[in-house]
Amino acid sequence: MADVSEIQAGATQKRRTDWLFVVGVSIVSLVVVLAAIGPAISPYDPTVSTPTVSMPPPPLAQWPSLFWGVLTGSVEQTPHWFGTDSSGFDIFSRVISAPRIDLTIALAANGLSLLLGVFLGLIAGYFRNIGTEVMMRTSDVLQSFPVFISAMILVALAGRSTTNIVIALALLYTPIYVRLTRSEVLSQKTRGYVEAARALGNSELIIALRHVLPNSMAPALIQSSVTIGFAILLTAGLSFVGAGVRPPTPEWGLMISTGATQIVLGEWWPSLFPGIAISATVFGFAVLGNALERRYAG
Amino acid sequence: MLVKAGTAKEARVEGRSPVIEARNLAVRYVTATGVVTPVRDLTLTVHEREVVGLVGDAGSGKSTAALALMGVVRPPGQIASGSVMFGGRDLLGLDEDALRAIRGNEIGIIVQNPRSSLNPMLRIGRQIANVYGAHNQATSREGWDKAVDMLRMVGINDPERRVGAYAHELSGGMAQRALIAMALSSSPRLLIADEPTSGLDVTIQAQFLDEMWQTVQATGSAILLISQDLGVIANYCDRVVVLHDGAIVEDRPVGEFFADPQHPYSRSILALQKAASEADAVAKRSDGEREKLIEIRDLAKNFPIRGSKKVVQAVENLSMTIGRGETVGLVGESGSGKTTVGRCLLRLEEPTAGQIEYGGTDISAIARSGMKRFRSKLQIVFQDPYDSLNPRWSVGQVLREPLNLHTSLSTAEKTARIGELLELVGLSPDIVSAKPRDLGASTLQRVNIARAIATDPEFIVLDEPTSVLAPAAIDGLVTLLRALQAELGLSYLFISHDLTTVKYLCDRVAVMYLGQVVETGTVDQVFNAPLHPYSRSLLDSHLFPDPTDRRVDRPDREQLEGEIPSPVDLPKGCYLAGRCPHALERCRAEPQMLHDMGDQRTARCWRVAEGDLEEAGR
Repeated sequence: MADVSEIQAGATQKRRTDWLFVVGVSIVSLVVVLAAIGPAISPYDPTVSTPTVSMPPPPLAQWPSLFWGVLTGSVEQTPHWFGTDSSGFDIFSRVISAPRIDLTIALAANGLSLLLGVFLGLIAGYFRNIGTEVMMRTSDVLQSFPVFISAMILVALAGRSTTNIVIALALLYTPIYVRLTRSEVLSQKTRGYVEAARALGNSELIIALRHVLPNSMAPALIQSSVTIGFAILLTAGLSFVGAGVRPPTPEWGLMISTGATQIVLGEWWPSLFPGIAISATVFGFAVLGNALERRYAG
Repeated sequence: MLVKAGTAKEARVEGRSPVIEARNLAVRYVTATGVVTPVRDLTLTVHEREVVGLVGDAGSGKSTAALALMGVVRPPGQIASGSVMFGGRDLLGLDEDALRAIRGNEIGIIVQNPRSSLNPMLRIGRQIANVYGAHNQATSREGWDKAVDMLRMVGINDPERRVGAYAHELSGGMAQRALIAMALSSSPRLLIADEPTSGLDVTIQAQFLDEMWQTVQATGSAILLISQDLGVIANYCDRVVVLHDGAIVEDRPVGEFFADPQHPYSRSILALQKAASEADAVAKRSDGEREKLIEIRDLAKNFPIRGSKKVVQAVENLSMTIGRGETVGLVGESGSGKTTVGRCLLRLEEPTAGQIEYGGTDISAIARSGMKRFRSKLQIVFQDPYDSLNPRWSVGQVLREPLNLHTSLSTAEKTARIGELLELVGLSPDIVSAKPRDLGASTLQRVNIARAIATDPEFIVLDEPTSVLAPAAIDGLVTLLRALQAELGLSYLFISHDLTTVKYLCDRVAVMYLGQVVETGTVDQVFNAPLHPYSRSLLDSHLFPDPTDRRVDRPDREQLEGEIPSPVDLPKGCYLAGRCPHALERCRAEPQMLHDMGDQRTARCWRVAEGDLEEAGR
């Protein structure tokens, strides 16, 4: 009697709205939607320049009337909401088109490193031997380099292409997953159900894959959200220093980089809007990761 | 005898003033879904020099009730109604400062899990002194001296040195004593002990409860002892209060309670004890003409210590045979190596030496991969029912695994077999899709048993399968194990430290101490007339739920000194010599052999073999 109602009370408390979770999910969904349809709904082609160069965004006060005008068709040319840059690209179109490339790189890199890292982590944790210990120490050494420098060097060596960026990021994020999965595997493999599976006559490989692996993935999956956010930041950073995607691909880091030279001339808008976009995205993924961790790992 | 014990107790209570009187106490929690009342209408009196046992299942409100007696409720709870008279005042009417002066000073509390109740950052002497100083005007020097006195009083050797120890430097038993020293430092009039011995080994538990009982008798305070262990209740309490669903359903002297429980719930928790005493009447099938199923010869297991050439000797030269359809009990305290034996038998642990013969094969010598064909015949049930089930798998998946591994049944046949297995262990087939987190411990342990019997094994290692279950659930499980044995002809190796269950379930028993078997024999032989000093002490320390033969009433106790030594640097002679009251010079010098005592009994003690030690009849 008492037990049941106590459990129910606990359950309702858990269901109380977690606002950070809502914020995280909203931002992440927006980014995902833009990645899907951003280029299709952008008012201008993000890779074709317009005749108007370095045009500031319209003052905020005019936005409602301009917006109304676009809706009713009384304004014949769609305004440059975020202005144009020194090459005449429409910044708004580029900002909403960029998630496609940024998110693709981040998702692909994260997916690759998740696969590789969870697999290696399982091996390193379950079949602990000299070989796996050497692997762990190697990944410690790799992790001790600043991620950004490593990424730059890898891309510089392999050449500037989207595939190479994905591979470089994947390599850099793998050790995180290896470490997370390994420590979870180490604690799971001493559990009774592993022993029971052994007593039933399962082979070690089957126990590792069917019993230990599914119970050891939660930390890595939760970390994914945070890693995707940082992968977007790193992609942008690489573009900023010229080691990322090539112009005129719409990409937030690249936009900040090309806009940066204009800031001294008072042209703040080419860099500001993509900057806000990156910050919000990284924030959204990080918050979502935290909320997931609270829910499922705590 | 029974009547006499009952009247004696009543006489003792008569003419004594009550220490604490709770009337219609209720505690409630207001939550989003409604009001929960874990304690409703608690009326309870504890007299001077009286030990009152509070019994009830997990979640019956025992701990909540105990805290409420001190005016403490965990938030967001509140005391809904009632009064608690203590020293002429209603505690519930007092303000926080006045209450705080009473708590720890006039009412002491000892909680479960001694280690987590001690501050790891403070020396234990400082902690005791702090508690003492909070209620008495004492300088820190006086507090420290008081701590030394208290530690000496609760039986800690060398208190001057121990007083400076940190919590992690104390063993579980010592930490528990430090806690009781803390609780008793300001001579409280009432001591509330909430499962004070859960997790302690029987010999340590007995030492501890003896000390608590004696201290209280000497200082004239009262104890409210909360426990699920009927043995503890029967041996130390004067009165039993049964709490069920937040209300008291029975409140009677201990003798009457055990002889004639009134409430159905009380009867259900006493059922196992009843069954165990009836089991005495059932002739044990120890005829020695059984077909041999498993023979263990000179089994040994060492664990190397990292960064050292030393080894932990978990099992040493153990020989044993288990007959078809027989249940052999393996008893001993934690660290005696009994679990390692069970794990070695199934090659979950690689034996260091020795042979294990099963069906004409030495299964300790074959390659690990070759074990698979024996796995369906040799099974194991583990201690923790929740931990031994994959948390992501439903009951159906769990039971399907052994069938997939060892049978070639069709999917439909497997499904049918799963239903059959669930029925065999007394569960409804409806739970096939339930996950472990949805089920209770006793149900989960039945699922574990169903998994173990899925492939028609001949032999099952039962590694403390009842240790995490509530008394009523233990009863059901043990009955189930016996029924399965009768139906399927299983042989069991029953590993346990719960002698009550062993007595009920086993035909023969082996007592282990520090990796060695010190005595073997039939259950009747060992339980009624133990030979080896360790078995005697173990049986004497074990608290059988029988109020007619209370430990506190027994004049001479066979008590070992100190605690189990570390299994790393074992002495040259008898391992027990350092603790044994009968030890002589020869015991310390010579390693002990297992002597054949005739009548299929063995004992590892030369004095027993030579008849030096008269049989300690129980």
